[in-house]
Amino acid sequence: MPELTARAAPPLAHHFVTMRQQTEAARLGMWLFLVSEVLLFTGLFTAYSVYRFLYAGVFEEASRHGVELWAGTTNTFVLITSSLTVALAFHFARLGRGRLAAALLVVSLLLGFVFLGIKAVEYTNHFHEGQLPGKYYTFAEVQGPGASMFFTLYFIMTGLHGAHVVVGMTVLAVMAVRAWREEFGPEHYAPIEIAGLYWHLVDLIWIFLYPLLYLI
Amino acid sequence: MAHENAAELEEHHGAGRYLAVWAALCVLTVGTFLASRLSLGPPWHLLVALLIAGAKASLVALFFMHLWDQPGVNRLVFLTSLVFVALLIGLVLLDNATRFPLANPPNERTLRFQAPGGAEPHVRPGERQQGEPGAIGRPASER
Repeated sequence: MPELTARAAPPLAHHFVTMRQQTEAARLGMWLFLVSEVLLFTGLFTAYSVYRFLYAGVFEEASRHGVELWAGTTNTFVLITSSLTVALAFHFARLGRGRLAAALLVVSLLLGFVFLGIKAVEYTNHFHEGQLPGKYYTFAEVQGPGASMFFTLYFIMTGLHGAHVVVGMTVLAVMAVRAWREEFGPEHYAPIEIAGLYWHLVDLIWIFLYPLLYLI
Repeated sequence: MAHENAAELEEHHGAGRYLAVWAALCVLTVGTFLASRLSLGPPWHLLVALLIAGAKASLVALFFMHLWDQPGVNRLVFLTSLVFVALLIGLVLLDNATRFPLANPPNERTLRFQAPGGAEPHVRPGERQQGEPGAIGRPASER
């Protein structure tokens, strides 16, 4: 889309009176979706709570000997920093500095790749060590009922979170292109704000996964 | 007209605040890492970890997700979801915690269950099919 027309007339759908109203409707819709995401993960956190309650000792051992603390801690910093760059991208997109916003989103994307890369290294190690769900569990250091359940939950929770990271990265890539084309400005910024909300939710969930899986 | 509304009714804070929130999140991450190395023991290690995670999540929700600046229904929607999170996790855990222990899946505690003194006065001779005490929940091959 040519720059000038995009800047001159921000896209206001005919069923909204003002841009502000349109932005608030979009925001509310996104929050409702995010809430459904929260409840999706709550199911997993509930399963985690039950099994940690039942197998407290084994979970502690599995976390201590089975997962790499450096990886979880590094990934926490990576995601927090990517949240910062996404928030800054929104800030600058709203000021009309689309190119800077796009650059910040690219940094966020790269951080997303770093996160997935570290996760891939971790998963590879788990496969080699036999730290796998159910009957595939062959990790000798931690045995007993519940040991494989820790890794079942670990894989489902980090796996679903990882899927969200991939989706979030896709959305951020689209936003980077749109920001680079100077589509956003002081009036029209809802898409990049909403994309940011999704990415921050991914960060939010990791903030709870980190102490529950790595720091038992 | 639309531009005036958007500009006046919503505060737009500078990049400095985002940086301050990021710094606070990093400090809290280091804090939760160090706290976990202290081996506080149950239940404090879990409570401290969740408290710090809650603080970090609040910072993200309030400032990165702008709930601090945007009053109204979004806050209500998010807080309502947290109520349901607490209900689901809380009530399910209460159920498990208050059950007769053997009604839970076999775990560290119930697998070592033995009748006091090894005697089982409530079991009549020949009534028990499970083998010796302590065998509950173990696969038959191990008994």
